Amino acid sequence: MRLPTPAVLVAATALLLSACGTTENTAAAPSESAAASGPVTVTDSRGKAVTLKAPAKRVVALEWGEAEMVASLGVMPVGAADVAGYHVWDKAVPLTAEVKDVGKRNEPSVDAIVGLNPDVVIMAEERDSTLVPQIEKYVPVVVTKSSDASRNFDRLREDFKLIAKTVGKEADAEKQLSEMDAELAEGKKAVEAKGAAGTPFLMADGYLEGSTVSIRPFGKGSLVSDTAEAVGLKNAWTGKVDPQWGLGQTDVEGLTALTDPKTVLFYSASEEDVFTTGLAQNAVYQRLPFVVSKKIHKLETGTWTFGGPKSIIMTADQIVKAITA
Amino acid sequence: MTTEVRGTSPRRGLVETVRTPQTIRTAVVSAGLVVLIAVLAGLHLTQGTSTSGPLDVVKAIFGQGDAQTLAVLEGSRVPRLLAALLLGIALGVAGAGLQSVARNPLASPDTLAVNAGAHFAVVAISAFGLSLPLVPVGGAAFAGGLAAAVVVLGLAGGGSASPRLVLVGSAVLLALQSVTILLLLLFEQETNGLFAWGSGSLTVADLRATGQMTPIVVLAVVALIAMGRRLDVLALGDDNATVLGLRVRRTRVTAVVLTVALTAAAVTVAGPVGFVGLSAPVITRLLLPIAKHRALLPVSGLVGVVTVLGADVVLRAIMGSAAAVRVPTGVVTTIVGAVVMVWLARRGRGSGSRRPAPAGRVGVAGSARRLVTISVVLVALLAVVPVVGLMLGDRMVLLGDLANWVDGNTGTALTFVLDQRLPRVLAALLAGAALAVSGCGIQSVSRNPLAEPGLLGITAGAGLGAITLITIVPAVGAWSIAGAAGVGATVVFALVYGLAWRSGLDSDRLVIIGIAVWSAGMALITLLIVVSDPWNSAKALTWLSGSTYGRTLEQVAPVALALIVLTPLSWIKHRELDLHALDEDTPRVLGLRVERSRLVVLAASGILAATAVSAIGVVVFVGLVAPHLARSLVGGRHGRVIPVAAALGALLVSVADTLGRTVIAPAQIPAGLVIAMVGTPYFVLVLWRTRP
Repeated sequence: MRLPTPAVLVAATALLLSACGTTENTAAAPSESAAASGPVTVTDSRGKAVTLKAPAKRVVALEWGEAEMVASLGVMPVGAADVAGYHVWDKAVPLTAEVKDVGKRNEPSVDAIVGLNPDVVIMAEERDSTLVPQIEKYVPVVVTKSSDASRNFDRLREDFKLIAKTVGKEADAEKQLSEMDAELAEGKKAVEAKGAAGTPFLMADGYLEGSTVSIRPFGKGSLVSDTAEAVGLKNAWTGKVDPQWGLGQTDVEGLTALTDPKTVLFYSASEEDVFTTGLAQNAVYQRLPFVVSKKIHKLETGTWTFGGPKSIIMTADQIVKAITA
Repeated sequence: MTTEVRGTSPRRGLVETVRTPQTIRTAVVSAGLVVLIAVLAGLHLTQGTSTSGPLDVVKAIFGQGDAQTLAVLEGSRVPRLLAALLLGIALGVAGAGLQSVARNPLASPDTLAVNAGAHFAVVAISAFGLSLPLVPVGGAAFAGGLAAAVVVLGLAGGGSASPRLVLVGSAVLLALQSVTILLLLLFEQETNGLFAWGSGSLTVADLRATGQMTPIVVLAVVALIAMGRRLDVLALGDDNATVLGLRVRRTRVTAVVLTVALTAAAVTVAGPVGFVGLSAPVITRLLLPIAKHRALLPVSGLVGVVTVLGADVVLRAIMGSAAAVRVPTGVVTTIVGAVVMVWLARRGRGSGSRRPAPAGRVGVAGSARRLVTISVVLVALLAVVPVVGLMLGDRMVLLGDLANWVDGNTGTALTFVLDQRLPRVLAALLAGAALAVSGCGIQSVSRNPLAEPGLLGITAGAGLGAITLITIVPAVGAWSIAGAAGVGATVVFALVYGLAWRSGLDSDRLVIIGIAVWSAGMALITLLIVVSDPWNSAKALTWLSGSTYGRTLEQVAPVALALIVLTPLSWIKHRELDLHALDEDTPRVLGLRVERSRLVVLAASGILAATAVSAIGVVVFVGLVAPHLARSLVGGRHGRVIPVAAALGALLVSVADTLGRTVIAPAQIPAGLVIAMVGTPYFVLVLWRTRP
């Protein structure tokens, strides 16, 4: 291999010259929030006490549910992971155009995160992640539990209050949580008034690849299941689910476990609707109780099934409307 | 099955007498297979996630079923069964056809990358949001598969019976898989479903795809069987066939097109179900050793059905139907196929010491001036590339910033960016160097310029070890992961080595068995992730495609240690490596204890590769490309090759990593994918230059 040496040298020199200099204006005040309120200390889901000089104003949220919670408290995050995806999947609380994308949710860009000079990074608990200790060297990280199939509503309250305390909006959070409770209680009343309490339901989403359909039932303990149960329904899915999200996996045949003719189907399909494209003509599907009785309800696109109180209200409203219609 | 001999052959009577026992044997085998398929199909129909049990199904078959069971059969079990039947026939016949065309028992839709080409086309269509009806999807799959077949067969030099074909095919397969994964990453809809489908799944919910593909499969199978005579003649060799009046080229092209159509149909229905096309014809040849194509092709189809159905039945019997929903059937067929491939490789005759030394360059020493120039350039690049790696990324940094950072004068944000970028740059550099040195050792002792730690199954073994540990103990330290990777690599490599050892180590056999074990290892990694952590596609992608994301200095330490200790050790042995690379006999004659020396070299190579995997996941091609490039720069003497290859490997992975972090920022491309995309064209170039 013969290198055209002079050309390479010239190019290298040019590159070197153009690469000199610095990108940061030194002494950029990191956070000018000489806040009225003093420092806050929150204990996050890891049991770690995280202290901020003041309630956070510049927040980066690395999971959609957490981004929604932050935004719903009136603090628009400065950055979120996969913003384009958020716009499709979570319409409960819109993010403004100013929210910067920090990369994919599974591998967010650390550069982008610190580039936003945040006061705090809020992220969901995940196993085997080296991300938390890495980011923590630079900026406080508050880790939420994000989901816990054994106590998802309590978990939601804790996460939401944790985030609220982090951004100094605790009163606001209490208000929203009691709104949510009131909404659920009202919904439950409406369902009971209709004599529909205890109606069995299946909540699911699904994927279609080629002609392969996978269905993901939200089992007991998943957040949306807890929501539906809070308004008086009963989860009919008894298959195995994972302990964190309460998610199961099955094929169309597996749905035949649902035999109660009163069963209602709710499904989420913000991008591709496998229940109409992949399954509608299927013999098993056609015999399922909710298909026979036409009790099928597609959640509006952008009803995020792993969201915050606003998503819960959005989901509950649709469920109650469907049941009492 | 009638094997009538038409025409007016004067030797007709003779042929008939010779053929009669074979005809009977064919009939018996076919009947046996049909019975087996019937039994398996029966079992298959009784398995499923609903409560419709065997009794219900039996009743339904005899016309007394309840409506529910009938619906379950119609809407779920029969489509699944028919898909399995279609797949088995299509892939079995396609494999037999390809093996005949290539005159190579290792040819198959998998090893010739036809599967991967078709799969890539299907994913590309869905990634770019072109929602086409199924037939055009099938058409795209056909185009993709055909392109892959043409490239592989072209590069491998037509109908040679060499394992080269498999090497070329595996390389093209790797590249196509990488681009496919990249598309999945970039167009990250919900990749969970796609991830499983990428290994071949039978969970079909309707008969649309099966129905639309059936005529294509039937036509192609009939056409291939009709070509049976011509394929028989083709098997005699190009020259003989030409003498006998066969239009060799036309026959070959037609057969390839038909087999690709079969493969594309199968991929359209269920994704790439691995290695059915490889194992079915091999098993058929065992059952019917001297079968002509008119028997071979259909019987291979039947064996294919047995393979697919059997895999599905066994999978669901072991795991339970509900849990088995997650596991792609292709994972099982791949493992079965890998066993067949190993067996086949062990059975084949060794190529002995006919193989020339790597690229025929041993002893060719470049001029001193050239060596100096190359060293200077490499050292300069080794200084520049990591610096550029530190500068580029999602956030661009200038040299002044770097200087400030070194002095400790940067602001917190920039300090942090560079602090977390440093381990990534180091991980890429060190893992690249380790893989390259590892590749030098392996290529030398296997005397195969196409061998490398990835294709020998070592990196897959390391990945399997590491991911097994992570699955059992989620929050485990870097040294433990490196240890588990080491154990995995050792076990798998011992397996490959032991299997390849048959009164001597044949290098081709080593590589073929390596590829088989590599495939099985990757299938097992997929299985492990799908079963243990189904909602974590990030983890899957890191381990299967090699990434520096989130590396810490602690994770880099094992590979650094291995490099510091083992590179000088390998270098000291450079004369031994030179000898190994010559041929089997010279080192013995010169008094080298060949086996012991070989084992030491391979162990060192294995450790280097394993620590590299624990640092950045499974990355292939570096161990192949870097030593090869080094030889072409400084000649074949290992005293020179090892340091140059180490430098090149470090540069290659570092550049790939920097590109991956920068090009689509803030999203990122795993370094391993970039390597595969850069490495494959180079590899193909190497093959093109060394084609027979």
